[in-house]
Amino acid sequence: MPDEGAPADHELLRRHVAGDADAFGELFRRHRDRLWAVALRTVCDPDEAADALQDAMVSAFRRAADFRGESAVTTWLHRIVVNASLDRLRRRAARPAVSTGDEQAFEALVAQDGDPARTSDTKLDVDAALRLLPPQQRAALVLVDMLGFSVADTAAILDTSPGTVKSRCARARARLLPHLAHLQGNRSTGQSVSPAQGGDTA
Amino acid sequence: MRGQMTHLDTDVLAEFRAGLITGRRGARITAHLGGCERCTALDGQLAGVRSLLASVPAPTLPDSVAQRLDTVLAAEVAQRNAAGRAAARGEAAPTDQAERAGGDGTRESSAPRRPGGNRGFRLLALRVLAPAAAVVVLAAGGYGLTRINLGSSTGSAASSTAGGAARTGPSAAAGAESAGHVHAPAAGPSKAAAVPRGIARAGFSLVTGQRNLTRANLAQQVRAELLVPPSARRTQTPPQRLSGCVTKLADGHTLELVESVRFEGRPATLVVARTGAEDTAWIAAPDCSATYRHVLATVTLPSGISGP
Repeated sequence: MPDEGAPADHELLRRHVAGDADAFGELFRRHRDRLWAVALRTVCDPDEAADALQDAMVSAFRRAADFRGESAVTTWLHRIVVNASLDRLRRRAARPAVSTGDEQAFEALVAQDGDPARTSDTKLDVDAALRLLPPQQRAALVLVDMLGFSVADTAAILDTSPGTVKSRCARARARLLPHLAHLQGNRSTGQSVSPAQGGDTA
Repeated sequence: MRGQMTHLDTDVLAEFRAGLITGRRGARITAHLGGCERCTALDGQLAGVRSLLASVPAPTLPDSVAQRLDTVLAAEVAQRNAAGRAAARGEAAPTDQAERAGGDGTRESSAPRRPGGNRGFRLLALRVLAPAAAVVVLAAGGYGLTRINLGSSTGSAASSTAGGAARTGPSAAAGAESAGHVHAPAAGPSKAAAVPRGIARAGFSLVTGQRNLTRANLAQQVRAELLVPPSARRTQTPPQRLSGCVTKLADGHTLELVESVRFEGRPATLVVARTGAEDTAWIAAPDCSATYRHVLATVTLPSGISGP
């Protein structure tokens, strides 16, 4: 958030469009930590995230005049970062080493990255589990559940309806549950729940 | 059906908690949850997933990425300013003759990602050529030049160096993609014809001087520095922060001299660039960077006094 007395986001963007050489830098630095989080959580790869964030920054710099003020500047910036991230994933999808979201890939990821000494269990497993999700679901979940955006703002960022955001988040949570339940202290119960089952097996 | 409902599917429960199931069906789910321990437990686990996700700390932007973004942004600003000046002068493109000779002269195009276009990241005044590229790599915190290229390519993890293939550009980042600025092709090393006077072919070597400049008569002192023959100068690779600072100050103009000096007895850097009809000299403070334009003094000089 800008300091008190600092120019508002839209003012900085206006100055940038008017030719101010420093305005965009100030605007982008103001939000880039959060934008980085979006990019990293969405693409699940630091190098790809750095590329996506750079792509997004350059794109926003050049297309600032296209901003119509129909949303907050932060929403606009996040939208560009999400799109750049999804674009990166689409390109990466052409390469075979990408997790396609299946269980085998998940197991492989856990086996590969599951060294609890490297970082906290929670973070590691959340990171690994997030890779299971289709990118669009992951983007919605990251924005709503991890970064605290409202459904309405997330819908604006993802350029979709609030209902779609809710649906993507719901499906993502259901999909993550069996893989993350053990982190809530009830491992045995969580692991036994299959998100695909009809539920009348008791 | 009330009371006879089967256990809830995780997806259904998740949709219910997301507010997607309301009305009579929602009421039935609510009623079921009131009397089913198993589904209540599942409901709690779903809420736990949300809590867990919310508890994960946001990742911190690595310094290397921050520096890389600063470098790229400084280049973007320089590019835009140079393009603006060229447009004001009615010129075709903000490129020097060497670059025009080597490229297609494209300035603005409706095809921002032309495969093989080799549109490179240009530190305009710095004339990104092979030796200078090493500087850029340092400035970008370890990323190769191709990592900060803004031009076109198909996005491979290329690791070529100066003058090499451009990496991917800002592609479809914006929702409504439209033709954006397109960088003029970068000059390859073999296209280096026009060497800025006073600057080694490296483009941006830092001349290590000991001169103590003073505010009074600064123009005359700068003039004297410009007349020192290159053979009498000692140079070194500029530190990372200075690279960003110089890029920002030069703002797309041809550099004449970058020299470490003292100003009023304190460490500083003298930066001189050809700014149209005249030269401009800046005295940059040690903390000047790509994002902090800290200039202690500025002076303009009639062009041509720094001749070879």
